Amino acid sequence: MGDRNPAPPPPQAVPRRRALADGAAATLAAARLLAPALFTGCSLGVPPRARSVTVGLLHSQTGPLAISATGLRDIELHAFEEINAAGGILGHRIETRAPDPRSRVELFVRKAGQLLDHGVACIFGCWTSASRKAVLPLVEEARKLLLYSVPYEGNESSKYVVYGGMVPNQQIFPALDWLMSPAGGEKKKVFLVGSDYVFPRTANYVAKKYLQGKPLAVVGEVYLPLGDRDFTATVRRILDSGADCVLNTVNGASNLGLFPALAAAKIDPTKLPVFSTSIAEDELRGFVPEHVRGHYALSCYFQSLETPANRRWISGFRDEFGFDRVTGDPMEPDWCLVHLWKQAVEKAGSFETEAVRQAFRDGLSFGGPGGTVRLDPKTQHTSKFFRIGRIRSDRQFDIVHSSEEPLDPDPYPQVAFPGWSVDWTTGGVTRGPEVDIDGDV
Amino acid sequence: MSIEDFYWLYDLPPQRSAVLFVAVFVGFYWIGSILLRPILRQFVKHTAGCNDIVGYVLSCFCVFYGLLLGLIAVTAYQNVADAGSNVTREAAALSALYEDVARYPEPHGQNLRWLLRDYTRYVIKYAWPLQQKGIMPEEGTIRAAAVHDQLLEFQPRTPSEEIVHAEALRQFNHFLECRRMRLYSVKSSLPDSMWFVMILGAILNIAICWLFDMRFITQLVLGGILAAYLGTMMFLIFDMNQPFRGDVSIKPEAFEALYVRMNEG
Repeated sequence: MGDRNPAPPPPQAVPRRRALADGAAATLAAARLLAPALFTGCSLGVPPRARSVTVGLLHSQTGPLAISATGLRDIELHAFEEINAAGGILGHRIETRAPDPRSRVELFVRKAGQLLDHGVACIFGCWTSASRKAVLPLVEEARKLLLYSVPYEGNESSKYVVYGGMVPNQQIFPALDWLMSPAGGEKKKVFLVGSDYVFPRTANYVAKKYLQGKPLAVVGEVYLPLGDRDFTATVRRILDSGADCVLNTVNGASNLGLFPALAAAKIDPTKLPVFSTSIAEDELRGFVPEHVRGHYALSCYFQSLETPANRRWISGFRDEFGFDRVTGDPMEPDWCLVHLWKQAVEKAGSFETEAVRQAFRDGLSFGGPGGTVRLDPKTQHTSKFFRIGRIRSDRQFDIVHSSEEPLDPDPYPQVAFPGWSVDWTTGGVTRGPEVDIDGDV
Repeated sequence: MSIEDFYWLYDLPPQRSAVLFVAVFVGFYWIGSILLRPILRQFVKHTAGCNDIVGYVLSCFCVFYGLLLGLIAVTAYQNVADAGSNVTREAAALSALYEDVARYPEPHGQNLRWLLRDYTRYVIKYAWPLQQKGIMPEEGTIRAAAVHDQLLEFQPRTPSEEIVHAEALRQFNHFLECRRMRLYSVKSSLPDSMWFVMILGAILNIAICWLFDMRFITQLVLGGILAAYLGTMMFLIFDMNQPFRGDVSIKPEAFEALYVRMNEG
C-alpha cells in the first residue's frame, strides 16, 4: 500500500539543456533587438541617423498653372538644400514632400490633407487665391502654417497663413499712382481685364475704390474664365473704350491668349500699355517677344535687378537648376519666406506652430535678392519694394520705377474695406461692414 | 522574421558588414563546438571509420550546397546587372529625348529641356538616396507626367516637326518603360525561401563538421576557416540581394554624366 499522506515532491531543478536553450534564445533575441542600434547608431565610422523634419511644397507641376508654379517648387528645394548643407534647422535636416495638385482646386485640398496627415511642419504653397482659400480651413484645423508667396488681393487674414506676396497697397495703388504721374504718362482712362476668380475681381474692386475722385477713370472691366485664351472680343472692347492703359490681372496660361490678341489688333504699347500683375520672367518664355515687348509688369522683383546679392542668388540657382533658368516674382518672395520661417523656427527653438508664430512678434527681417523684407507681426504679411518693369525683346525687364523703400503691407486698405483691420499681436481681425466686391463702386 | 529585418546591415560600411558576417558564422561554429559538438558526437563516436563517413557525407553535401550558393550568387548578380542595364537604358533614352526636344520651336523646346533636366536632377539628388534605403521614389512620376503633358501640348506644324515629334514620343515611351523597370527593381530581392534554404544549408554544413573526430583546437581552426568562407559567401549574396543597396549596387553615374552634359548648354 502506498503512503496515504505522501510528502510533497522536492522542487525540481531546471534541466541544464533547457537552461542553455533558454539562455541562448534570450541572448539571440537581445542581440537581434540591439544589433541595429549597436552597429549603426553607436559604432565608430557610422554617422548617427540625422533627425529630420518634413515640410510640404504644394505647387502645381502639371496643368495650366505649372508654367508659373514649378519655379516656386524649385526655389524652395534650392533653399532647403542650402539650409541642409549648412547643417539644417535646429540640427534637423529638412525633408520635402512635393505632391502635384495639377492646377485643380479640389486636388489642392486633397493633397494638402495628405501632407497634413503625414505630419508636415508647415506647407509652402498655393498659387491662385481659390486654391489658398480652399486649403485654409485644413491648415487652420490642423494648426499648421501655410506660407503663401504669390501677390494676392488682400481682404483676408488667417493666423495660420504667412503672406509673402504683394497686396494691393503694395502693387495696385503705387502702380495707379505712377500711371497718373508725369513719369507714367498722366493716363486718364484705364481698362480692367482679369481672369474670373477671387484675385482679379477683388483687386479690381480695390482699384476702382482707390481711383474714386482721382483723374484716372475706369472705362471698362472684363473677366474671362481661368485658362480661356480667346481674347479677340476683349481686345475689341478695350479699343472701343478709348482706354489709354490696361490693368491686367489675367493669370496663368490665359495671358498666352491676351498678348497675341493685342498684337493682332496692332496695339502699340507706347500708346496703350498693358500693366500686368501676374507676368514674370518665367511666363515671358511662353510669349513671342514681339507680342509683349514694351508692355509692363508690376512686381517686387525682377531678374534684371543689378545688385551683388541678386547676381549671387541667380548664379547659385542656375548652378543647381541649369544655366538658362530664370528667376522672378514670386520666386524671390518665396525664397525670403523660407528664410523668414527658418529664422522664426530658430528663434522659437521649435518647429511647433504656436512657438513659431510667437517668434514672428519679434519682427523678423531678411536681406533677400530684391532687398530687405520685414515680416509684419501684426498682419503676418511682408513689407517689400514696388517695381515696374518694361518688357524687353530678350524676355527680361527694364526697371522703369522702383519705390524708394519697402512698402508696408495693408491687407485691408480702408478705401476698400472700411472698418476692417488685423493685428495678430493683440486680438486678430477687427471686422467692419460686409463688402460686396461684385457690387457697384 | 524575414530577410527584410536584417536590411539595417546595408547601413554599415561594407567592410564592417563582411567582418560581421564572418564573425557570426565563425562564432556560431566555435560556440557550437563547445556546446553542441559533444552531443552530436554521441551519434557517431562508436562507428568505425567515422571520419571517412563524415568526410564523404560532407563532400556530397558541399557539392549540392556549393552549386546552390553559386547559382544563387549568379542570380543575385544577374539581378543587379539587369537593374544596372535598365538604369543605363533609361539615361540613354533621356539623353536621346533631350536631343530630340532641342529641335522643338520655343518655348516648347526650352520647357521640355528644363523639365528633362529637372527630372534628371531629381533622380540624382532625391530618388537615388531613397532607392539606397529601399524606398521607391514617388515624385519622379510627377516630373515624368509634366514632360508628357508638355510633349502632348506641342502641335507640329511642318512635316519635319511631325517626324521629330513622333521620334520624341517614341523615345519618351521607351524612357517610361526603363524608368518603370528601374522602380520595380528597387524592391527586387531573393525570396525568403531561398534565404531559408541557404541558411539551413550553412547550419547543416557546420553541424556536419562538428561530427569529425579530431583534436579540439584542430576542429576550431579547420571548421573556423570553413565557417569564415561560408560567412563571406553569405555576405556577398546579401550585398547583391538588392540592386540599389550595399557595396555591390548601382550608382547614378549614367544620370550624373547626362546631367553634366545637359548643363553644358
